[in-house]
Amino acid sequence: MINLRDKGAEIWENQGRVGRVVLALCGVTVVASLPFLGGTILNTPIADYESVLVYPIAMFVLMAIGLNIVIGKSGLLDLGYVAFFAIGAYTMGLLGTKTGLNTWEILPIGIAMAMFSGIILGIPALKLRGDYLAIITLGFGEIVRIVALNLGALGRSEGILNIPTPPAIFGIEYTFDSHRIYYWTLLVLILLAIWMVRRLSARRAGRAWESIRQDEDAAELLGVPTFRYKIWAFVLGASVGGAAGVFYASKTLFIAPDNFTLQISILILACVVFGGMGNIWGVILGAVILGYLPDRIRFISDARLLVFGLVLVIMMNLRPDGLLPRKKREKTIDKKDAT
Amino acid sequence: MSSSLIQLKNVSMKFGGVTALSDVSFDVKEKEILGLIGPNGAGKTTVFNVITGVYQITSGEIIFEGKSLSGIKRYEITRRGVARTFQSIRLWGDMTALENVITATDTHKKSGLVLGLFGFPVSRREEKRDKARAQELLDFVGIGEYSDRLAKNLPYGVQRRLEIARAMGAEPKLLLLDEPAAGFNPAEKVDLAATIRKIRDAGYTVLLIEHDMSLVMKVSDRVVVLDFGQKIADDSPGKVQDDPRVIEAYLGVPENAS
Amino acid sequence: MIGSFLDQFWSLTFGGLSLGFIYILIALGYTMVYGVLRMINFANSEIFMVGTFATIIIIRDVFKFTQTSEYATGFRLWLILATALIFAMMVSGTLSMIVEIVAYRRLRRMNSGVLAPLISAIGVSMVLAESVRILTDSRPVASPRAMEKRFIGQFFDAGIRIDNTIIVISALVLFGILMSFVNKTRMGKAIRAVSMNPNAARLMGINIDGVVSATFLVGGLMTGAAGFFYVLKYENTASNIGFELGIAAFTAAILGGIGNIKGAFFGGLALGLLETYASFFLGTQWKAVTVFIVLVLVLYTRPNGLFGEALTQTRA
Ligand SMILES: Nc1ncnc2c1ncn2[C@@H]1O[C@H](COP(=O)(O)OP(=O)(O)OP(=O)(O)O)[C@@H](O)[C@H]1O
Ligand SMILES: [Mg+2]
Repeated sequence: MINLRDKGAEIWENQGRVGRVVLALCGVTVVASLPFLGGTILNTPIADYESVLVYPIAMFVLMAIGLNIVIGKSGLLDLGYVAFFAIGAYTMGLLGTKTGLNTWEILPIGIAMAMFSGIILGIPALKLRGDYLAIITLGFGEIVRIVALNLGALGRSEGILNIPTPPAIFGIEYTFDSHRIYYWTLLVLILLAIWMVRRLSARRAGRAWESIRQDEDAAELLGVPTFRYKIWAFVLGASVGGAAGVFYASKTLFIAPDNFTLQISILILACVVFGGMGNIWGVILGAVILGYLPDRIRFISDARLLVFGLVLVIMMNLRPDGLLPRKKREKTIDKKDAT
Repeated sequence: MSSSLIQLKNVSMKFGGVTALSDVSFDVKEKEILGLIGPNGAGKTTVFNVITGVYQITSGEIIFEGKSLSGIKRYEITRRGVARTFQSIRLWGDMTALENVITATDTHKKSGLVLGLFGFPVSRREEKRDKARAQELLDFVGIGEYSDRLAKNLPYGVQRRLEIARAMGAEPKLLLLDEPAAGFNPAEKVDLAATIRKIRDAGYTVLLIEHDMSLVMKVSDRVVVLDFGQKIADDSPGKVQDDPRVIEAYLGVPENAS
Repeated sequence: MIGSFLDQFWSLTFGGLSLGFIYILIALGYTMVYGVLRMINFANSEIFMVGTFATIIIIRDVFKFTQTSEYATGFRLWLILATALIFAMMVSGTLSMIVEIVAYRRLRRMNSGVLAPLISAIGVSMVLAESVRILTDSRPVASPRAMEKRFIGQFFDAGIRIDNTIIVISALVLFGILMSFVNKTRMGKAIRAVSMNPNAARLMGINIDGVVSATFLVGGLMTGAAGFFYVLKYENTASNIGFELGIAAFTAAILGGIGNIKGAFFGGLALGLLETYASFFLGTQWKAVTVFIVLVLVLYTRPNGLFGEALTQTRA
């Protein structure tokens, strides 16, 4: 277990360009074929296996990747991540039912809305020290839910019904129960998010975030515009949350304030912490395990939040780096560049 | 006589009831090594903190290259050309030595988020250049072979030198060194003195806080002495050493001691 | 609107005052711990929640009150109230010490920065809230009324209710006891020494673990008392009430300047009144929003609160 990360990194680094492409393709193929394994030991007794793959698993993975930019990369404890998910979902709900726009057209709008609220929240909150940020974001997550619960335009506690499914794309139809199609679409979104995070954290932005996470004052005194980078991290995280929200609404066809409680924020936090803050593969693994287990093991299903709370306490005390620790780079960022 | 790079004019800094600096004025000339000395708690580090914008001064003015630094954001001050080291080492421990320096060299570059995402060939070339520059700086302070090691795993002396390289990475005109030789043995101190002179010869201006008298007197062109937040001397090393007020400050005043 | 506000001003004010004293006691839980650890005790809201349940256990299960029982009077009434108060305080105080051991102690020894203990405390608070939720089947729990809520006096047009009076007076007494504990006793002085300068305190030979434990205990005692007063006033509880009350009390602590005991007092009163007045105009559903806006405004414009340390201060 301890060397899982290093082993993986070693295999990857020892491959040439072709080897890496082959490995990546194999990985994607295996993951993409998961919906066909419903009859095997993987099956979930509690909910329909294929729908579990979509929600919680893939959806958690996507959100965990987004939250990881905020917590793992730049060390900002955002406890209101569900707000961005909710904003994406309500954007989809409102525009999808009130205008003729379809899911693909709403997706960028939902992302933009989430990013915008990220800026609105970030500007006051990111001036403050870490623990105050936590409590402000915590409050913000609740506020968004309370607003949804009390505004007539957002349907109050009934929420929004009859949200349209995405229209067919490349001849692929989305119907209410075609879970696989949704799963594969989410997979594409996840791959995009991974690409974005990896691309960004390899270079300048990644270093700036890393320096902020480790010693923010020192970073600022050495010329890193810390506030700007923190806002960026926040907003990028929000964009991923917003995308997840739009897609979630378009999948469940019905949203209500109860879908967006504080608990979701904590669940995603648990995924990030469990897998390994700052390590994108760890975070994905964490989200897969914590998304899957409650639907596989009945005992956990009844007390899933309890289990997640325990995960937070135990991991922080015994293995704060998570299953797959943050990359401990003994070599420079990109070995090949140095030669 | 060359012109001043930075001027402190009647600078005072109060923390509640504590006056850390009172009415301090001095300047640092271009390409000069100015030693800043004084007993513990004299206010030396506070001088660095007010120059770099960690604290807003209570009164007075700080002028860098003819422009006031008041109200300027900290990272902007660094961009204008002031970089510092820390008395208590504050490296980014989970980054390699090289990354510590590159992060500081990013100071003068665009934020790089959009570039990093889409402008692949451009940023890759730049990345290479930055890396080479950072390696040069590590070599310059004599720790080139540690570039791939995580900062937190480096020996103490290397960490101190890495602090200097990192500050130089920000391409400052004025380099503020806060007790860079603390904890060094005599041989290492001699070595460091040579490095500091080399830094000046490379075109930097240096403001140096140091407790080791012989080191300060050897490398400095001029020495400013602080005591209880006040400037008590500002002269060539030879004259400062003989100044009775300085001797008093360091040895204590007999009348008061009794 | 304004007219009816003026008509009801005093009764709103009394309600707001007693709510304010509840906030003060919870805010003390946050502020004491913050003082010594420089960390927000995220589990404090759940310590409060458990205090409310401890109170109900005494009233309902020990003294066997039901919704239809007759009110207790005289000595028996005071006995019940005192037992419930002390029990709630002891349960919450003990729990608070356990929280410190489980969530903080190990991480504090490892010197692990801010993030890890925060997350660990959030985990503990989740475990507490969820355990109670499962035990209570996700349903709110009503407290049988042990005491007739009569009016004991009149102030302008407003009746002064006995429960509000009990809350204000006992909270004042508790606050006084706390102040003299902090200022007069050995342990209190040690707590103050640690919050002023932990390193110096350690050098002076103060046992930091002991001080931290004692701080959590005292904070928990106060928070538990708040749980009792809450049940006395509102006569119900639920596994999820911690969140809202917690964030309000935390806001109160910030308003007064976190880490500052007197600050918690004024912050709690101010917030209790403000929230009550605001609810009158806006409706109770926006209560949490009002509190949150106050929190953001205070943190953004006056991060020191009324008495506290600077929160955005840089150390270099
Ligand atoms: N943030 C602060 N708040 C309150 N007092 C401070 C603060 N920073 C510095 N001081 C006080 O200002 C005085 C000068 O401190 P400073 O750190 O500048 O001394 P120094 O000359 O660098 O000493 P040393 O040689 O020990 O490093 C000291 O009395 C210190 O306690
Ligand atoms: Mg100093």
